[in-house]
Amino acid sequence: MVDGQAPVLTEGLGKKYRRGWALRDCTLRVPENRVVALVGPNGAGKSTLMGLVTGLVKPTAGEIAVFGDVPNGRGLHPAVAFLAQQKPLYPQFTVAETLRFGQRTNPTWDQEYAEGLVRRAQVPLTAKVGTLSGGQRTRVALALALGKRPRLLLLDEPLADLDPLARESVLRNLVEESRRQGITVLLSSHVLAELEGVCDHLVLLANGQVRVAGDVDALLDRHVLLVGPPEGPLPLPASSVIDARRTAEGQEVLVPASLAGGAPGWRQLRPRLGHLALGYMRDASREVAA
Amino acid sequence: MIRVVWRQQRAQLITMLAVFVVGAAALLAVRASMVSYLDGHALGNCVAIGIRADGGCGNDVVQSFQDIWFDRMKVGQLFVLALPVLVGLFGGAPLFARELEQGTHVLAFTQSVSRIRWMSSKIAVAAAPALVVVVALQLLVEWWVGAAGKIGPLASGPYFYATFGTSGLAPVAYTLFAFSLGMFVGAASRRTLVAMTVTLAVTVVLRYALSSLQKFLVSAQRIVSDDPSVSKVEPGSLTVFGGYLDANGNVVPNANSAVMNCGSKGDAPVTDTATCYRDHGLVKWFADVVPAEAAGTVHLVEAAIYLGLAVVLVLATGWAVRRQA
Repeated sequence: MVDGQAPVLTEGLGKKYRRGWALRDCTLRVPENRVVALVGPNGAGKSTLMGLVTGLVKPTAGEIAVFGDVPNGRGLHPAVAFLAQQKPLYPQFTVAETLRFGQRTNPTWDQEYAEGLVRRAQVPLTAKVGTLSGGQRTRVALALALGKRPRLLLLDEPLADLDPLARESVLRNLVEESRRQGITVLLSSHVLAELEGVCDHLVLLANGQVRVAGDVDALLDRHVLLVGPPEGPLPLPASSVIDARRTAEGQEVLVPASLAGGAPGWRQLRPRLGHLALGYMRDASREVAA
Repeated sequence: MIRVVWRQQRAQLITMLAVFVVGAAALLAVRASMVSYLDGHALGNCVAIGIRADGGCGNDVVQSFQDIWFDRMKVGQLFVLALPVLVGLFGGAPLFARELEQGTHVLAFTQSVSRIRWMSSKIAVAAAPALVVVVALQLLVEWWVGAAGKIGPLASGPYFYATFGTSGLAPVAYTLFAFSLGMFVGAASRRTLVAMTVTLAVTVVLRYALSSLQKFLVSAQRIVSDDPSVSKVEPGSLTVFGGYLDANGNVVPNANSAVMNCGSKGDAPVTDTATCYRDHGLVKWFADVVPAEAAGTVHLVEAAIYLGLAVVLVLATGWAVRRQA
């Protein structure tokens, strides 16, 4: 039995649809007060994992606890807020009516705070949701999610349909709020560049399984990016290489830090989150191809 | 919760209110006009006694009234007959289907309110006003048709399809059934259009099937006439089965040939039909009928069937919505 009060704790969690396993054997602990990036290629199981955390999806195998409770269909845990990928909002409601909806359906609602978030985004309260731009819609949806004062905020691809400017402002606003309020954010995305410097915890899914999970700093410490000449063999046996690719300057090889020694002529660099995530994703897709 | 759901249904509720206001105003006006026609032509007595030559209410007198008003009253009744289907199509079918189509059910499912509470609020807010409107319009039409008394559609008895379907519990039962059907198909198929189509088809077919089985819903009474040539069927009752009995009280299987033998043959008219029938072994006439007085029971039985189906459909809707992700 999984227990404890961590925001999310899973043990051997799996979900099987008719087409096969969407998520399999997932054992995970999402720690408190982190901005967690949930990354992975399309179909990796990100949305399924989110669905399992909210209780919208019922697990086929394993167990899951959210703040110690098992998610069910009796409404979301009061400490959890969820923003689905399509950012569903009632298009015929005004912004004020949308917030009132949040107020009536959430016992922990903070109307003043939610209104403040909308006002700061410069979205008029009297506007119909259906007439808002993508960025404004996202800000309203975020206000609806944050207004219930969650301790865990789940965001499924929140940036997907936004232009670069809106992405930047939404993300900045989100991180500010989560840090200020001490909210754990679980954010799924495949826009890696933007998560850099924002996320402090990474969960990487591929083919329905957890490939990498941990605090970003620790993960980056455990890996080394070797940069070497464009031609010539890899400095390490292929079995210890996570990912290798050619760039304009030369070859880039991602390896575990423990195996990085003994590669003369290769520079050792600290990888960035993007290197790590892409490297593991490519590694996973090669496995499938093989 | 109710207020939020009310906001969501506002457009439909306003439409329904408009239908009610326009319908009620039209019904009141048309009834007043008919009543003044009845008064102006001194037909008050005929309304009470029906078409009877001896009361000064012969066919000729009543005919001109019916030429103008009978079909109008029938249109009024058909309007009430159509209302439950409309409630099913425009109230029930989109109730969950539209949310599932637009993905907004996820919004409701991810607030801290249970699905059951969300569903029951939606159902209550959509169904209760619809029921009130249907019943109000039903009563107005009944009041109007009642004003024509025995020279209006009521003369055809309580089982006349347009009268039966617009009186008693029938409109409420039809409405609840059509609404639940639309709601269930919408929740299960996640498609408003599919739900509307299925609701229309199934409601019409079931209404037709059950109204053709109407006379079998309660057990029939046998009425017997000692004079085999005289039928004792009361107007307004439903005949389930009829024929002739022999001397032992058994049903005569092939009475038709005997009846034909007693018909007029060219220049030799049969003067005493009853004797002729008896000579051919037809001792008594009988019929198994559902009398007009049993209409209340027939209404109850039919309503119980529709309401039972509605309960099953509501439970099935709950199941269908709960399994949506």
